[in-house]
Amino acid sequence: MSDTSQIPYHASRSRRAVGRLQRVTYQPGASLLHHLHPLVKLAWLAGGTVALFIMQQPMGVLIILALAGAAFPLNGLTLHKVRGLRFFAVTALTLFAVQVFFTHAETPLLQLGPLRVTETGIVKGIYTAGRLLSVILFSYLFVLTTEPNDLGYALMQAGVPYRYGFMLITALRLVPLFEQEAQTVYQAQLARGIAYDRGGVKRFFALARQFFLPLLVSAMSKVDALAVSMEGRCFGKYPRRTFLREVAFTRRDGVALGILAVAMLAVIVTR
Amino acid sequence: MIQVQGFSYRFSGSDRYALRDVNLDIAPGEFVVLTGPSGCGKSTLALALGGFLFNQYDGEATGEITVAGMDVRRTPIYDIAEIVGLVQQNPEAQFCTLTVQDEIAFGLENRRLPREDIRGRMEWALQVVDAQHLKDRTLATLSGGEKQRVAVAALLAARPQVLIFDEPTSNLDPTATAQIFDVIARIREAEAITVIVIEHKVAYLRRFSPRWLRMEDGQLSVDSRQFPTSLLPTPCSLLHTPSSLLPTSDSLPPSPLVKTERLHAGYNGHTVLHDVSVEIRPGEFVAVMGDNGSGKTTFLQCLLGLLKPAEGHVEIAGLDTRTTPVSKMAQRAAYIFQNPDHQLFAETVWQEATLAPRNFGTWNAETEARTIALLDEVGLGDRHADPPYRLSYGEKRRLNLVAMLSYTPSLLLLDEILIGQDPDNAARLLEWLRARVNGGSSVVLINHAPDIAQGYATRLLFFQAGRLIIDAPTAQGFAQLARMGCEAYLPSDVTDFRKPVTPRNMTDV
Repeated sequence: MSDTSQIPYHASRSRRAVGRLQRVTYQPGASLLHHLHPLVKLAWLAGGTVALFIMQQPMGVLIILALAGAAFPLNGLTLHKVRGLRFFAVTALTLFAVQVFFTHAETPLLQLGPLRVTETGIVKGIYTAGRLLSVILFSYLFVLTTEPNDLGYALMQAGVPYRYGFMLITALRLVPLFEQEAQTVYQAQLARGIAYDRGGVKRFFALARQFFLPLLVSAMSKVDALAVSMEGRCFGKYPRRTFLREVAFTRRDGVALGILAVAMLAVIVTR
Repeated sequence: MIQVQGFSYRFSGSDRYALRDVNLDIAPGEFVVLTGPSGCGKSTLALALGGFLFNQYDGEATGEITVAGMDVRRTPIYDIAEIVGLVQQNPEAQFCTLTVQDEIAFGLENRRLPREDIRGRMEWALQVVDAQHLKDRTLATLSGGEKQRVAVAALLAARPQVLIFDEPTSNLDPTATAQIFDVIARIREAEAITVIVIEHKVAYLRRFSPRWLRMEDGQLSVDSRQFPTSLLPTPCSLLHTPSSLLPTSDSLPPSPLVKTERLHAGYNGHTVLHDVSVEIRPGEFVAVMGDNGSGKTTFLQCLLGLLKPAEGHVEIAGLDTRTTPVSKMAQRAAYIFQNPDHQLFAETVWQEATLAPRNFGTWNAETEARTIALLDEVGLGDRHADPPYRLSYGEKRRLNLVAMLSYTPSLLLLDEILIGQDPDNAARLLEWLRARVNGGSSVVLINHAPDIAQGYATRLLFFQAGRLIIDAPTAQGFAQLARMGCEAYLPSDVTDFRKPVTPRNMTDV
């Protein structure tokens, strides 16, 4: 394909989807979260998750959930546009309902036939659903505001061996290429009259083989070219390397870490 | 600088020597052009000079290679990398990072250079390849020519003494190709480094007055300071009737095979093609040209219905692509994609060649006989049971074509199928296509070589920024391009060096 920006993401399906929903991937922006150091955000993600699980007050869980939700508009993100959120919301509601209606404890607050609503049930429901949703929202915030490339470089400069860091960066670079290629192979198969709608398990495996073989062949030639390119530029010559890029640690990052520390302390003390 | 003595190489698993008794002496600062048919061993020699052959591949080598005094066969790759840089064919495949700065810094960071040195060298390398304006871009947003320039800068930044270019322009359009050759010229001016260019497009390189090498079947066959006329591509314009003598539209049957009306199309809500209205009749050989990104591939995809029009409509043999499934349309219109590997699915050559007619339910004794004859003609007659991915690049391409011709579609949509084909292979494919056109099929060929369009096409479509700006008989089309000043798209004027050559195996299909 001559111009990568033009490769169709397949077909009618995705054309309809685009515009309505965002893929769960980095959204360029200039918000506070966008500017935070990737590792500080990672610390917040980890700290927030730990706090949620050691928290012993349902109100605390609700506050964290509300804060996570509020962080979206505050950072220029549109919550309802994120793909997959509806699925998690429905799951969380289901979990909540199961806990509320099927927890048999003390005197019910409300009795509807066999269904008893108790305070313990509501509390348990808030824990389960609130924790799930909050963790999902935290992860979304992280993914939507962190450029994966920056994360890779930040991890390497923080001491992660650069060979692993570049695995991440190489994967980031190759995934869109493979997506395009898969698209081309699919089109090439349509052009040869391969129908995907005729059934049978055996046929399914035959189709899968026909689909993946060309991708595998092309992946191998890509790996060869990449290996020449990396070794030809001395990748792996020394155990450590330098970096042009400075993933800067600013005062803002210091403040964010301080807030996280205080919040964590508060959660631990008040549990 | 480089000494190769009696060097032979055989990849493990292959019974054929990729390089046979190569002897070569290249002085510091020399400019060498290496040509030869695909599969002749040019790229293997490049890998050998860069030391990669001995680090990354398994095989059996004899003879000696010395680069800057180092025995390449026994020196760590990192030491050779300080001297030799290899620019590969596909810019995309050689990037290790996602941004221009990271990419150029990559090799310097690996050498543990401090930041300040990296910055200085980056500025210098970007300036040599004339790409300072690209400094803050991400690689994914660059055009093919820009990508290749960044790839060159990334190697140049390490200040190699030898720079090898392995078909650096084969994925590029004529505009970008001209830019890359300008970059090579600038490197020659800026630095006294040794340059080896592996390239089919020899016409561009004559201005450098280089040393010309040709390789055939693993051996060097030409080594000359003078431009050897035998290196010129097969002169397509002398092989056959000039396109002006081919039937004009008056004598063509009246009903169009392809009809697009006010076609707009694009991806993800982004319109690429604007207002394209074209009619193509049976027996036309249409060349589609234009810069990469101008909408050529999009246009072709619309013709098969792989992409549906956003506005307007497309009809093939009276069928509307909006309402006809691609699998049905495909029986009338064959589509060959750029990369042969993306369209070889079956376990054997025979299964590959017969896949489409079987899928269409049109398999019968006649198709079988035709397929056997086609495979014989392209020289795959004794390869029926081989796996397709074992074929050479040129053979794969011919198999792609057989896999389409086996069910006699009336329209052939071909997306840059001549990329990476040496002139002989290309001429052979083109003669085949011409035979199809003479038999009443139509060919729509996206292609960057003006000489080919001039020699074979009856009509020229030229796209610019998603609009069809030229639609004319080939000769008039080129006249229009000349008036517009599109130098890179004009046929070359080297006809006086050409002598008629009859390519082998070119019988009517």
